[in-house]
Amino acid sequence: MEIQWSLVLFTVLSGAGAWLFASAAIDELKGTTKKTAFPAAILAVVLLAVGGICSVTHLSHPERMLAALGHPTAGIFLEALLLGILAVVAIVYAILVKREASAGARKVFAVLGIIAAIALTFACGASYMMSSHAMWDTVTLPLAYLGTAAASGTALYLVLCAALKESDEAISFAGLLATAGGVLALVLGVVYGVAGNVAFGDQAAIFWLAVVVCGGVAPIVFGYLASKKPASGLTYGAIAVVGALIGSIGLRCVMWLVGSALMSLFGVAL
Amino acid sequence: MARNCIVVNLDRCTGCYGCEVACKMENDIALGEYWNKVVEVGPIGDYPDITRYKVPSMCQQCEDAPCVHVCPTGASYRDPETNIVLVDREKCIGCKYCMMACPYGVRNWNAETKTVEKCTLCGHLTAQGELPACVKSCAAGARFYGDLDDPDSDVSKELARYDADAIHTLEDVGNHPATHYIWSPKHGEWKERI
Repeated sequence: MEIQWSLVLFTVLSGAGAWLFASAAIDELKGTTKKTAFPAAILAVVLLAVGGICSVTHLSHPERMLAALGHPTAGIFLEALLLGILAVVAIVYAILVKREASAGARKVFAVLGIIAAIALTFACGASYMMSSHAMWDTVTLPLAYLGTAAASGTALYLVLCAALKESDEAISFAGLLATAGGVLALVLGVVYGVAGNVAFGDQAAIFWLAVVVCGGVAPIVFGYLASKKPASGLTYGAIAVVGALIGSIGLRCVMWLVGSALMSLFGVAL
Repeated sequence: MARNCIVVNLDRCTGCYGCEVACKMENDIALGEYWNKVVEVGPIGDYPDITRYKVPSMCQQCEDAPCVHVCPTGASYRDPETNIVLVDREKCIGCKYCMMACPYGVRNWNAETKTVEKCTLCGHLTAQGELPACVKSCAAGARFYGDLDDPDSDVSKELARYDADAIHTLEDVGNHPATHYIWSPKHGEWKERI
């Protein structure tokens, strides 16, 4: 199948935004950063919005989108709903941070944000689980979506922390978050590669280079280096985020390229 | 509820493409687009045991239709009166998820309206007591329309004439297609995935 770039960009950007906010939320619970929480929440909302706009460009009649309200069980509706919930949570959190609200209130929205980020990035992949596509019809696909989004968002958070000159302790913690994100991308990506039978097929080269090496190994290595050497966090973070985004895009491209319906009797290409 | 569908008797089908043409004429379908397409199967096997036949394909009227489940706006829906799977073009946003979800690839993308459409079982004709255009025009009398749950319907009567080993569906991946094909073993091997 042809790569549907609108949908690739939607899940890559919204996934990065979701996990950027989740990273800030995790840090909120730990309490290491001082300056990054607010810009991270705002950037997350921007990424969610831009990702949402990308998905709309896939539609030929977006003006009819409100009809989705009458059919709230489809995967697309769930994605839109979760994206909206996460955006609202992030905005409320940003307001709480700006107004220096109580730590308890901030923590509540941080936890809500983490749950919504996990749910959104999983749901974006779950929409493709269809019995008509054997290589997509595995729960490892949404898990891989989640993993690659986690790597992108956590690495982006590391870059923000380093760029805003947070304390060494905060940058070090953000480096560990990026490492954890990379581990999720690597493990869940490889599990999908094997379960979805894409790791050794026609797209194996893209899978191993983009998804595994760039998307998994790079964030692990450079996230860990940043945690050990916070002074170079910006450089290491930039490499980690570029690698994670390549992995995130690569996974989605591979998914489309290996996509093959049970039958295509009319021979219509999407 | 009724299970209205088409039954195609491939033992009688001559592969003339008449159903495909009749469908295009009746429903004003553009060149290169289809609601009903005759697909050739085979040749399968080794000489002299070779199977080759043609399968007129269209929406299989799945009982658990994936297209209906994935549609975000309800544009793909099951008609409450006839129980037929249909598309409301006025609600279609063109996301094409139904085309991805269809196991058989028998949904059409209308390049002019930029919406998805498919076989309607000629509901505008059957509502007036007529037969779908493809059934009405079949020169070999190989196509039948009716309710599988009604023993007096044309489809039930035609299926009742054959043993179970001659009655087939396209591969079922949990969607339970209602459309049935008759292809007797004496003519060759049935291939459920084309």
